Amino acid sequence: MSAVTASIDSIAEPLVQVRDLHTRLGGKVIFDGLSLDVPRGSVTAIMGPSGTGKTTLLRHITGQLRAGFDDVSGSVRVAGEDIARLSRAALFALREKIGFLFQNSALLTDFNVFENVAFPLRQHTELPEVLIRDIVLTKLQAVGLRGAANLSPSELSGGMARRVALARAIVFDPMLILYDEPFVGLDPIALNQVLRLIGTLNKTLGITSILVAHELAAVRRVADRVYLIANGKLVAQGAPDELAREDSPWTRQFFGGEADGPVPFHYPAPDYATELGFAR
Amino acid sequence: MNTLVRRNWLLNGIAQLGECGLFFLDILVALPKSLRHFREICRQVWFVGAMSLTIVMTCGMFVGMVLALQLYYTLSIFGGTAALGTVVALSLFRELGPVVTALLFAGRAGTAVTAEIGLMRATDQIDAMEMMAVDPIAYVVAPRYLAGVIAMPLLMCLFNALGILGGHLVGVTWLGVDNGTFWGNMTSTVDLWKDIIDGVWKSLAFGAVVTLIAVFQGYNAPPTSEGVAYSTTRTVVFSAIVILAVDFVMTAFLT
Ligand SMILES: Nc1ncnc2c1ncn2[C@@H]1O[C@H](COP(=O)(O)OP(=O)(O)OP(=O)(O)O)[C@@H](O)[C@H]1O
Ligand SMILES: [Mg+2]
Repeated sequence: MSAVTASIDSIAEPLVQVRDLHTRLGGKVIFDGLSLDVPRGSVTAIMGPSGTGKTTLLRHITGQLRAGFDDVSGSVRVAGEDIARLSRAALFALREKIGFLFQNSALLTDFNVFENVAFPLRQHTELPEVLIRDIVLTKLQAVGLRGAANLSPSELSGGMARRVALARAIVFDPMLILYDEPFVGLDPIALNQVLRLIGTLNKTLGITSILVAHELAAVRRVADRVYLIANGKLVAQGAPDELAREDSPWTRQFFGGEADGPVPFHYPAPDYATELGFAR
Repeated sequence: MNTLVRRNWLLNGIAQLGECGLFFLDILVALPKSLRHFREICRQVWFVGAMSLTIVMTCGMFVGMVLALQLYYTLSIFGGTAALGTVVALSLFRELGPVVTALLFAGRAGTAVTAEIGLMRATDQIDAMEMMAVDPIAYVVAPRYLAGVIAMPLLMCLFNALGILGGHLVGVTWLGVDNGTFWGNMTSTVDLWKDIIDGVWKSLAFGAVVTLIAVFQGYNAPPTSEGVAYSTTRTVVFSAIVILAVDFVMTAFLT
């Protein structure tokens, strides 16, 4: 990296800034003092065991959960704006610039594939029909589903639905895209396609991406930076290759796939033998 | 506070009522914005209205026929069967039309609206709209609400028309009341403002509360199949109670 870009990077404020986030959901502590930065123009991966709150973190970034309204304290800033202080209108204006890929696709069942992708355009712009058609078909082509434009969501497989959801998330060319487990249920071909798409969107359009994923190999190919979250805290961070080499108990367990380690495999429960009635 | 509310059904009910009231205000605030989704409103009127058409028309016919039979029997005791047309029409316009239509509407369209919105919530579609900066109250809830309020009086008119037809069928064709007497007495006694418009007011009020209950239950349904099923049941139960209670109050004030 040249000296010029390095200095620009250091001047530019991170696009997403999470500071000392404490969150409780239904009495359960999800985040206990989480802080992290997502630099502009980067692909940042969030990894962590199931149920640590990766989806919850994304919901903080989009303002679906925020300090003051819920059992949350700390600050989340996106593009310099404190999410908790935004009015509803300002929050909606910000969300127009954020693409979100839901873990379970969340396509609108009332509409077919084409209309699902066109939905944000129709809601927020007065573009002529021809232009909408062109944009939608371009995005569908990018995910390889132009031919499926007339299918209804119930006719799609899980992997196809996720790719349609991805096309919908990028239809506005947002400044920030949040991918919640985009690789689940994709075959290797589609996975490569989606990986390449994430890379292209990032490199050519400069779209910052936050990627929640469990697939280490895939993450290593696109991500500039990985944050490993466990037990409500940041336990490791760094470039993916560095992190895979790092020898801490967290990374060893998570990347080495050891069942035992700092992350318990079991959800908190009473003693197994006692519960089965074997203990004396 | 939380545990107290959960334990005490009375407080729980009051809290729900308050939430429902606030939800109603949200809908009112979102109504102007939802008028932008004019096509969606039309689609919903068609959807809720057409959906209930068959059941409302069939039931209207049968209610009219039963009314004619029962009232003919009662009137014949006093030798007043000539008034059959009037009595059938008044019972329908003033009371049975609005109430029975609302009950049928709650069972047919109300439950469908609750289940639809509940499932949209359960499958993250509501969240997805919020994420795409589309207000789900303005896009999903308000059009359905408006559609319910518009469709209810229209359905009631059809119910009444079919009811009178049924009454005519039984009274004139079967029991032999004179055709001219049937219609003549009816048209000379039934008053447009006092009888027909009063019924329309009732119907509008029922449309407003039944649809409010339906969208509220759907929007707040727990995001599971069990939760949606439970909310759907509650729509019918609450609607039935509220319809009859509001009916009593409105009848007391309107007459
Ligand atoms: N509305 C809620 N009320 C109570 N608890 C919740 C709520 N939403 C999420 N949780 C809890 O928060 C925790 C984190 O959930 P989240 O969906 O963020 O996990 P995740 O890291 O995305 O997991 P996965 O990798 O399985 O998707 C879970 O333990 C879940 O039980
Ligand atoms: Mg998740």
